[in-house]
Amino acid sequence: MLIKTGIERLDELMKGGIPAVTNTLLYSPPFIGKENILNKFVLSGLEEGEPVIFVLTDKSFSEMRKEMERLDKNFSGYESEGKVKYIDIYSKGVELEEEGENAIFVDSPINRERITSAIIATEKEYTKKYERHRLVFDSVSTLIVYSDAKAVFRFLQVVSGTCKRMGATSIFSMTRGMHEELEVQTIKHLMDGVIEMREEGSRMQLRVQGCGEVVSRNWIDYLLEKDEIKLTGAFRMSRVA
Amino acid sequence: MIETGIPKLDEYLGGGIPEGKSLLFYIAPEVEESNMGVHVLYHNLEMGKRCVYVISKSSPKQLGQYFKEFGWDINKYNDRLNIVDGYSRLIGAPSEEKYVIFEPHDILSYEDVIGDIMDETTENVVVVFDSLSTIIDLCGEREALQGIYRINEEIGKKNGVSVYNFTAWPYKENTIYRIKRRFDCIVDINPAGGDSFVGQEYSISKVNWEGKTGKSVIFRVYKPGGVRIYIPKILVIGPFRSGKTTFIKALSERFTSVDRLGATIAIEHGTVDHGGCRADIFGIPGQERFSPLMEKMGASATGIMVVLDSSKPEQLGDVTKMVEDIRRKGIPYVVVANKQDMPGAMDEYELKKRMGEDVIRAVATEGRGVFDAFEVLVNKILHGVPDAD
Repeated sequence: MLIKTGIERLDELMKGGIPAVTNTLLYSPPFIGKENILNKFVLSGLEEGEPVIFVLTDKSFSEMRKEMERLDKNFSGYESEGKVKYIDIYSKGVELEEEGENAIFVDSPINRERITSAIIATEKEYTKKYERHRLVFDSVSTLIVYSDAKAVFRFLQVVSGTCKRMGATSIFSMTRGMHEELEVQTIKHLMDGVIEMREEGSRMQLRVQGCGEVVSRNWIDYLLEKDEIKLTGAFRMSRVA
Repeated sequence: MIETGIPKLDEYLGGGIPEGKSLLFYIAPEVEESNMGVHVLYHNLEMGKRCVYVISKSSPKQLGQYFKEFGWDINKYNDRLNIVDGYSRLIGAPSEEKYVIFEPHDILSYEDVIGDIMDETTENVVVVFDSLSTIIDLCGEREALQGIYRINEEIGKKNGVSVYNFTAWPYKENTIYRIKRRFDCIVDINPAGGDSFVGQEYSISKVNWEGKTGKSVIFRVYKPGGVRIYIPKILVIGPFRSGKTTFIKALSERFTSVDRLGATIAIEHGTVDHGGCRADIFGIPGQERFSPLMEKMGASATGIMVVLDSSKPEQLGDVTKMVEDIRRKGIPYVVVANKQDMPGAMDEYELKKRMGEDVIRAVATEGRGVFDAFEVLVNKILHGVPDAD
């Protein structure tokens, strides 16, 4: 069973999508399209009837909501059907007066205990009604900055295990350039696959590691046009993994 | 002795935590961490103790709000509560607290502040750390544990008590071993009932004073309310017109007549909150001993209350048979001799003679005896039924 990312040629690259109920790391420098992949992943899930959980460390849930409403006019409909939940680890820390019935607030990124219990509670709700759901964790980097990679590793060990048990297909984002190589390797180790993005001169590229069978494991060029990621690089001719 | 205020836990600990000792709540990651320590802290503020709350993973500014969710106002205890701010410096924010950990990555900084507080106080204090796992993650395993050992000694010297929340992330085995060795008492907290999530469960896995290990108790954390022992399903049965409905109403803070199994049969549902216990109580309407409803509900009941009308000796035969059924199933139960105010009501001696059962006298219309019966049943549920067949 494969889960569509919603980016057509990326799904082709992965022979149909990300394997269901796995954890993927999205490892990318800032401003080259990480959010676009996350947003598409969420919207394609909602289209397929899979509810979503946003775990947000760097923006408030209402910012996220606004962005999604801009991208898809059906979004507020999905939300009113109870298919969108937010775990907001940002607002309370910067003392924003936010409130919302679909949001659970955690006061700080150090409070990993509360993040865990919020995720578990939300997933339990979903499992009552839905076979599968999607989870976007944006981002792991913020957690590491506030404590250290080893502690976050232990936390992710619990969370990634729980996500699988509860039927979630999850993407965890991590910012390239913020961490030591050892930290990155440690976190990668916990994941079933990695989608990596990079900027090479004027070209933007991505490649897929793990994530089941893929057509190519090479770096593939892509373009960022408005809100869309378009894979332009050829991969049919490449070595089949 | 310093009480934890966690229902029944003090009893199992032989009264509470002796002065000078340390206790660790060893909490599964699936369970929200802060609740236990916070409950102990607030209980001791209410008991008039001097308390210290060491907060490492969220801002002290959020604290008032957090306690308010439990229905607790900590501001009225400002003169007896010291907050140690181990958070603000971590995110580079200013702190309004008197006691600040200047170097949250250095356990010595914690030792300094706790040392200052201990020097200043003459009473025995209760120090709650929220949490040890955060401190370990920040200061490093080896350093943190050595430091915590010295901190506990310091607090112990002044006859204080230290209480820690600790989330059992997948640490290395020998780290866990060392942590457990360092504490006088370990209370494990785990999710109960698997994915159906009945609640949480505590059990004492280590105690080096007069206390019992092993006993596990299911509880829930209520907001407002705090930690309560949770008893999922108590049935109330009895002959026709013995006063079951009145009895349930007298016990319950919330009462509804629900209509779950079709229009012909209505089950009454009440929620009891008494003596640190919350229970869901269901009244079975039928008076038939072998009603299918009773069979269905009875199999999964945690406890049963049999209510009889003390002025109707002709019903005692039926009641005795009901009790025999329950005994055979091994379910804890209590027999309530209701309507003690009626003319010709039989007293407990008379009933014991006729039925061979101990009964509890009650007048449900006046609320008399109802909570006595509840307490007796709860104790039977928690401590096992010695006379089960």
